[in-house]
Amino acid sequence: MKRAIPYLRRTIQALSFFFLLYLIIRTAFPLELKIPVDLYLRLDPFIGIITILTKKEVILRVLPGFGVLLLVFIFGNFFCGWFCPMGATIDFFDRVLFREKKRSKEFNDQPFRRLRYGIFIFSLVAGLMAFQVMYLLDPISLITRTLVIAFYPPAIFVFNTLVPEVQSFLPKNSSFLSTIPMPMFKVNLLIFLFFVVILGLGVVKKRFWCRYLCPLGVLFSIVSRFRILRRFVTEDCPHCLRCVKECPVGAIPEANPQEYRQQDCISCFKCLECSPEAVSFRFGLPRRRPVNGVSLSRRYVLGSLAFGAVSALMIKANPLQSESGLKNNRLIRPPGSLPEEKFVSVCTGCGECLKVCPNNALQSTFLEAGLAGLYTPRLVPRIGYCEEFCNFCGKICPTEAIRYLPFEEKRLLQMGVAHIDKTRCIAWDTDKICLVCNEQCSYHAVIGDDKKRPIVKEEKCTGCGICENKCPVDGEAAIIVYASGVQKKLKPEDVNNDNKNEVPANPAKKGKSA
Amino acid sequence: MEQSRNKRITRRQFIKGAAVAAGIPLLSSKLPFYGSLAHAAEESDLVIAKNGSASQLLQAAMAPLGGMGRFVKNGQRVVIKANIAWARTPEQACTNNPDLLSALIKMCYDTGAKRVAVWDHTCDNYQFCFSRSGLKETAQKAGADIFSGHGRNSYKQVEVQKGKKLKTVEILRDVLESDVFINFPIPKQHFATELTLGMKNLIGITWDMEQLHKIGLHQCIADVNTVRKPDLVVMDAIRILTTNGPKGPGKTEDIGEVIASADIVAADAYAAAFFKHPKTGKPFKPEEVQFVKNAYDLGLGQINLSKVRMKKVTAA
Repeated sequence: MKRAIPYLRRTIQALSFFFLLYLIIRTAFPLELKIPVDLYLRLDPFIGIITILTKKEVILRVLPGFGVLLLVFIFGNFFCGWFCPMGATIDFFDRVLFREKKRSKEFNDQPFRRLRYGIFIFSLVAGLMAFQVMYLLDPISLITRTLVIAFYPPAIFVFNTLVPEVQSFLPKNSSFLSTIPMPMFKVNLLIFLFFVVILGLGVVKKRFWCRYLCPLGVLFSIVSRFRILRRFVTEDCPHCLRCVKECPVGAIPEANPQEYRQQDCISCFKCLECSPEAVSFRFGLPRRRPVNGVSLSRRYVLGSLAFGAVSALMIKANPLQSESGLKNNRLIRPPGSLPEEKFVSVCTGCGECLKVCPNNALQSTFLEAGLAGLYTPRLVPRIGYCEEFCNFCGKICPTEAIRYLPFEEKRLLQMGVAHIDKTRCIAWDTDKICLVCNEQCSYHAVIGDDKKRPIVKEEKCTGCGICENKCPVDGEAAIIVYASGVQKKLKPEDVNNDNKNEVPANPAKKGKSA
Repeated sequence: MEQSRNKRITRRQFIKGAAVAAGIPLLSSKLPFYGSLAHAAEESDLVIAKNGSASQLLQAAMAPLGGMGRFVKNGQRVVIKANIAWARTPEQACTNNPDLLSALIKMCYDTGAKRVAVWDHTCDNYQFCFSRSGLKETAQKAGADIFSGHGRNSYKQVEVQKGKKLKTVEILRDVLESDVFINFPIPKQHFATELTLGMKNLIGITWDMEQLHKIGLHQCIADVNTVRKPDLVVMDAIRILTTNGPKGPGKTEDIGEVIASADIVAADAYAAAFFKHPKTGKPFKPEEVQFVKNAYDLGLGQINLSKVRMKKVTAA
C-alpha cells in the first residue's frame, strides 16, 4: 500500500495536468461541456480572495476556491502535491530535464523561504492598490496562460502542417480534413520564456518555484499551520535522513528529521517510504507553534509592505498607466468588460477568453494597458473580429472581469466605433465598388451613400470590428475601430430600418404572382 | 410523415430507374443515337416551379430539365455550393432553405451519387453559420458531408484563362475535382452589386473573397464563373431577402419558387426580376445587373430570356 502511493500520486498529477489540458482544448465552440472549462481557476482560493478584495463584491464563480481552502485545514496543502497542474509540470521537468545540481555544501534556503513571504506581502499590497503582479505568479493562471498563448498556436501549426501530409495518404475522395486558421498571440515568446525560467529553476533546487515563489503556495502554507492530518515519527527513526533527501519541498529539517515544517509539507507522503516504518500520518490536533518556522522580522514585513505600496504608486504615476485605459483609443476591451480600472484589477490574465474566442480576436496586451494591465485581453479587429452571436468570453471568464451578457444585450453594447479613412478607402479614393464593410456589418451600422461609398452610423456601431477585419485594403484597414472609452448601451432599434415589420418567424404564405 | 412517403418509390422514380437501367448498356457502347435519346428527355432550359413544398418544387423543377439523372450519374461525386455565408436563421432568408437543401441532397443520392458534399466559404465564423442556419444538421441528416472553406489547404490556385480582369484565383479543390457541380444560391438584395444571384454565390468558392472587390467586383464575379461552370443551378427563391442584403436581417418576400437550369446566366436573368430597382422602382432588367451583363459578354449563357426555352410548372 505504502509503496503504491508515489505511483498513485504521479498518476493523479498526470491526470490532473491532462484534465486541465482537456478543459483548455474544450474551451472552444460550441462550449457545451457540463463541467465549467475554467474549473481549475475557480478552485484557486488565491484568485478568489484577491479578486473579491479588489472588486469589493462577491464573485460567485470563484467561491469553490474556498472549499479547497477548507480542505487544506484538514490535509495541509495537498493541492500542490497531488492536483496542481503547475506542480505536476515542474515535478515532471525536474525529473527529466532540470535535475537538481549536486552540492558539496548544504544549500541554506532560509533567505529564500523568507523571500516567499516577502513577495507575497509585496504583491498583496501592490495588488490591492493597483499593480496586479500576483496574477502573473498565480500558478493556475500562469499555466493556463502559458498553455493557451505559448503552446496552443504551435500545436495548431503542427496540425496544419501535418494535415496535407495525412491527406495525401488517405484514399482520394474520402472525407476531407481542413486546416485551422492559425491562432496567434504577440506575447507568446515572453510568456514561454518566463515559463522555461520557472522550470529551469529546478536546477537550483527541485520544486524551486513551489517552495520559494508561488503565492498560492504561500496562502496554503499559512492555512496549513492549522492542519489536522499530521506527520508522526516514532522512536524507531534511525536518522538515515532518507526522508530529508526525498522530501520534494524540503519540509524536513536535516538536524531533526523527526520533526517537519507542517506549513511547507505538501502531503505527498514520500516520507512514508521509510524502511523501519517509523513515519505515519494521523489526524491530531493542530500544533500551536510550527517547527522551524520562518522568522519574519517586523522590519522585513514593513519593508515588503512599503516596497509594494511604493511600486504601486509608481505604476499609478507612470504615464504608461495613466495614458492607457480611457486614453488609449485602440485598447478595445471584450464585450461586457468591467470599467477599465476595475477590469485590470480583477482580470487574472489567464487567457481563457483568448482561447475561447472563435475568431482569435482577443489578444493579450503587453504594455498597451500599462504595466498593471499586463496580459489582459483586448480586441484586435485586424486579427479577428467579435462574432455577433458569441458571448463565450463572458461565459467562461473565471473572475467575471468580462460579464456574461445574453445576445440581446451583447448586440447592443458599444465597445468602440468604426471610422473610415477616406484617403485609403477603395470606394472613397477610387471609382471601384467595394463596400465590403457594408455587406459584412451585422448591425447595419455601415451604410452606403448614393455613390456607393461607406458611411458609419455611430449610433448603431458596436465596434465589433468585422469591417476592419475584412477591409481589403493592404496593411492597416481603411476603416478602423477606436475604443469608445466606457462601454455603453446602444438604443435598441428596429432591425428593418425601412420597414416596421419584424422578420417573420414563420414563412407566411404570401405568393407573388410571377 | 412526409419522409416516409418519400421513401416509397414513386411512379416517376420507378420509370426513371427503369430508364437508367435500360440506358446503362447503351452507355457502354457509344451508339450514335444516344445523344438524341438523352436530349429527348429535356424539354426546356430554364424551369420555374411554383406552389408546393420544398421537395415538390424541386421535383417539379427538375423533371422538364430531364430529371436529376441527366446531371448526376451513378457513382459520381457531387459538390453543392450552398449559401451559408452568414450566421442567420433560416426564416431570415439570408441562407438557403434547409428543406430544399435536404431534398436536393436526397435527389442526388436517389439518382446514384456516390457522395454529396456541401461547401461554402462563409463570411461569418463557419461554426456559427453552420449551426444558426441549421444547414449543417440538415446536410448531415440527409447524408451529405458539409465543409467550410476556412482552411487554405482546401484551395487550389488556378489560372483564369477566360478572365478579363482576374488572372489567377484560388478555388476550392473539391469543386474543381467534382464530377458534378451544383450551384445552390438564394437570391438576395445586395447593396454593392445590387443583387446576389447564382453567379455571385460562386464568389464563395474562392479564397480571397474580399480582394476581388479591389480588382473590380462585377468583372471578377463573371471571371470566377468561367473557371468551373456549374453543371446545374438550383435557385432557392422560396423566400428571398429584399432589403439589407446580403447579410440581413431585412425585409423578406415569399416568392415560393424554385428555379432550375443548366444556364447560370439565364437563371440569374430570370431571378433579377424579383427585385425592384432602387432608382426606377421597376423590376430589375437582367442587363441592369452588371455582373450578369459581364457574364453574358463572356459567353457564359443567355441573358435574353426570350431566347431561352423557359417553362413554368406547378408543383402541387
